Amino acid sequence: MAQDRSFSSFLGIGLPAALIMVGLLAALISLPLYVGQSWVSITTEMLIMSLAACALNIMLGYTGLVSFGPAGLYAVGAYTTAIFLQKLGLSIAPSMLAAPVLAGLIGAIVGWICVRRTAVYFALLTLAFSQIIWTVIFEWYAVTGGDDGLTSLPIPDFFFNISNCYYFTLFVVGVCTFIIWKIINSPFGQTLKAIRENRNRVEFIGVNTKRYQLGAFVLSSLFLGISGSLYCVFSGSVFPNFAYWVKSADMLVICLLGGVYNFSGPLVGTLIYTLLTKIIADYTTHWHLFLGGIIIFIILVMRNGVVGTLADLWARKKQKQL
Amino acid sequence: MTFEALAGQTISGISLGMVWFLIAVGLSIIFGTLKVLNLAHGSLYMLGSYTCYQVTTSLAPLAGNFWLAVLLAPLVVALVGGLIEVFLLRPIYKAEMLYQYILTFALVLIIAEVCKIIWGAGYHSISVPWPFKGSVRLFGLTFPQYNLFLIVMGAVVFMGLRLLINHTSLGRIIRAVTHNREMANALGVNVPWVYTGVFMLGSWLAGLAGCLWPPMSAVTLGSDMAVVIDCFIIVVIGGLGSLSGAFLGAIILGLTTAYGVLFVPKLAVAFGFILMVIILIIRPWGLLGEPE
Repeated sequence: MAQDRSFSSFLGIGLPAALIMVGLLAALISLPLYVGQSWVSITTEMLIMSLAACALNIMLGYTGLVSFGPAGLYAVGAYTTAIFLQKLGLSIAPSMLAAPVLAGLIGAIVGWICVRRTAVYFALLTLAFSQIIWTVIFEWYAVTGGDDGLTSLPIPDFFFNISNCYYFTLFVVGVCTFIIWKIINSPFGQTLKAIRENRNRVEFIGVNTKRYQLGAFVLSSLFLGISGSLYCVFSGSVFPNFAYWVKSADMLVICLLGGVYNFSGPLVGTLIYTLLTKIIADYTTHWHLFLGGIIIFIILVMRNGVVGTLADLWARKKQKQL
Repeated sequence: MTFEALAGQTISGISLGMVWFLIAVGLSIIFGTLKVLNLAHGSLYMLGSYTCYQVTTSLAPLAGNFWLAVLLAPLVVALVGGLIEVFLLRPIYKAEMLYQYILTFALVLIIAEVCKIIWGAGYHSISVPWPFKGSVRLFGLTFPQYNLFLIVMGAVVFMGLRLLINHTSLGRIIRAVTHNREMANALGVNVPWVYTGVFMLGSWLAGLAGCLWPPMSAVTLGSDMAVVIDCFIIVVIGGLGSLSGAFLGAIILGLTTAYGVLFVPKLAVAFGFILMVIILIIRPWGLLGEPE
């Protein structure tokens, strides 16, 4: 028990949450033992998506910056790995490591311009930049393969085995999520939350809020780059639609579905979103109609997302007991 | 590069700009008054063009069927807009911006899917209507009549809206609500109805554009998002919430696109975005907008 407590204090979470996490991790690690390959593959995809959503949520939930263009930086990560592998003939390790570096760099440039503006303008700017990235990918045929994308990438044989790919993804996503968690709970993360709550007040006490917002932007870009790179390795090909606004919208909806004010929101959101799309797509080809309906329902009825609403219910129940 | 080609591109650039103006001005007024950035504005345009196609083909034997569609389709779109405002937007005006975005995004998904279910995934075309099928010779150059008609139409709507907003009592109420919602409310203006009215006006304009543009291109799925992104660029260039800004921005983007296709076709798509980014950096509130 004592060990458990120190473990949970190391993570900075309560004991029940720590137990849930250990259980989840155990379930994820043993997953390939009891489900078929197709589900292992779906889970790998979910893990990658949840990392992207978590990265987006650094901006969305913790800094209060609504970005419409996360897919642009996700695509930068994916294309970096693909181009390094295929066009430059580098091995897998430098190709994957270059992804967050380049995504972070481009994120820094884009972010530097974007954080100059707030609210609507910030959202529009991020949308514009992701569309520029999409256009570059679409038109720069010699390097990016244009409309056709880059296919049959020289991915090492190791990743062709789905369980290897799964464990690799689980490891990277696990480590990244842990790092994001630590950052969010550091003084830096607390300052971001303070900026979200009241930017003016934080500025009054002498904090350079723009620098913090830029920091959040770069961090978010970096992790988006990693998730893009993972997806490139997982699927063995990259396409321009990775950068398209639809992908950004998917990520936003995932965050919203789970709830943006909880760390686990994007993770739960990914799970619900993936399962919903799989289930609805089985019944009807018009699943966008249902997705739209579900989003409207969530916004009108349970604005804090699934995790947020459950947390509220939990808190209310506790209050009643007292 | 001949002078003729340049003149031709200028005319088609401006006429494209005029159609964009009709959509962008609605987006801009809605943002100015309701403070909601309507991502589904392009979807209302698309709904207008499908409705116009439906009416035009249903009434095919009748002469002037297209013009009847121009009368009917925007009204249908305005009605849909009114329903959206009353039932979906009203409950969330007080919510954070993020939720408004995503709600209108959900509408994009729904409207696109409904159009796909009713009219299928293929292209539909509307032919250039009588009496603008031919072309006109001006200053020794030939221009399609329909392009000139679009330019006149855009200018008329622009003047009409200026008149409505700046010189009528209704316009004064809209300006009052835009300026200070609480104060207008306290002075007895029925703010919710002004919101509904403005949203319906914006939707009507988007529907009108949806009728007028298809003869120059086609009715297709996917036009919703293409159009709304162009309109974002326009209102950012011109200034969000500014009527004249939307007009200027639309002409600038129309010409940029037309000349871009002529000179560097590969980068034509990116030109608008680059222009928008430059404006946002040097004059963030847009050319004719007001600083916050």
